[in-house]
Amino acid sequence: MSAARDGGPVAAFEGVTVRYGSVLAADAVTLAVGRGSVYAVLGRNGAGKSSLVRCLLGQQRPAAGRATLFGDDAWRSRREAMARVGVVPEEPDVPPEMDAAEALAFCAPLYPRFDRVGAHARLARFGVPRDVPAGRLSKGQKGQLGLALALAHHPELLVLDDPTLGLDVVARKALYEELVGELADRGTTVVLTTHDLAGVEAIADRVGVLVEGRLVLDEELEALKARFRRVRFGTAAAAAVPGELLAPLAPLRLVRGGFGVETVVERFDEAAFERLRAQERMPEPEVSGMSLEEIFIAVNGGAQEVRR
Amino acid sequence: MGRTVAIDPADPAPIWRQIEEGVRRLAASGALAPGSVVPSVRELASELRVNPATVAKAYQRLTDAGVLTVRRGEGTYVADPPPRFPESERRRVLREGATRYAALALSVGADSERAAEELDAAWRALDRSGARGRER
Repeated sequence: MSAARDGGPVAAFEGVTVRYGSVLAADAVTLAVGRGSVYAVLGRNGAGKSSLVRCLLGQQRPAAGRATLFGDDAWRSRREAMARVGVVPEEPDVPPEMDAAEALAFCAPLYPRFDRVGAHARLARFGVPRDVPAGRLSKGQKGQLGLALALAHHPELLVLDDPTLGLDVVARKALYEELVGELADRGTTVVLTTHDLAGVEAIADRVGVLVEGRLVLDEELEALKARFRRVRFGTAAAAAVPGELLAPLAPLRLVRGGFGVETVVERFDEAAFERLRAQERMPEPEVSGMSLEEIFIAVNGGAQEVRR
Repeated sequence: MGRTVAIDPADPAPIWRQIEEGVRRLAASGALAPGSVVPSVRELASELRVNPATVAKAYQRLTDAGVLTVRRGEGTYVADPPPRFPESERRRVLREGATRYAALALSVGADSERAAEELDAAWRALDRSGARGRER
């Protein structure tokens, strides 16, 4: 089947477009997720993240392009592919009257290999009671049950749709630890959408940023962080920094505020920066790296000059 | 500080490098004595909640540089005795570190003299803690 393509991406989007009536939810999105890597799809609410997840899981047929799982069309080969995929949906899909033990017993026969012992151990680690109906579990426990079910058949690909949504700090910590353990033990490929940029920052290998359905960024996190910088000039210096002086840095945005001038540089170039510093009128700048969250905000803010 | 490695998300240096330098620092200051066990890749990844591949990369580089040593089936240890760097490796490591430090100094507006003063002070602080006694 897909044996010939085993060296290829585990999951991919090839020009995927999704329309809901006149709304363009995904606009020709192309990206690939390599085996054993962790890909984080980021975007504001309504940016198109969930539409992409639905396409990947074969639940939504793209208006154009295609999503692939293990090299095969996700829409057409959903049935075969899903045996190799674990899914943690945004909304828990365990019936509210079913408890964790029943849910595991229900799912076990659906898969050729299903590690019930491992799943029970995972629930014990999480502290999820096995005899309480899912509808009465806390938000965090529902998510943990979802993760235990998703991992029980040892999937090659784990898809998580905003897994930390509504989780408190402790539950989020437990989820990441479990995810890290899975990566360490099984090298599972992971695709996740999330709003928790601080949490995903240390786990993702690659990130994609969706803005209004378009993939505006698709890059290794390490490379991304290496090229973004924040450059600040203090209050006293602010007046002396005309915008055109900063032009060689090609700043993404320039903010003038009470505490001086601040600019985000998208492609920080050490040499260009040194030439800039050497200029006579240039006050001393302060340069710092940016967290993924800061980069995300800068990318979503767009290339504009803001005065406040 | 203690015996931990900290990750700073605002640091443009990749996380594997932050871990690598953190462990180097702990070993150099004596907080991690030669022969002491370092956490497994899985343990440290869980503790820091970072991708295990990132920790593995840092450990691999530390092992290549002779800071850590792997005893098969037993785990990873701080190398004992402290590594004697070949000159080429020593030059590479020093240059890499110096370039980063110089860039850092530059970014906070320090000149080379000021940067050298701080380096000197850091050196003296290590001396006091006895870490340099292990160097050869």
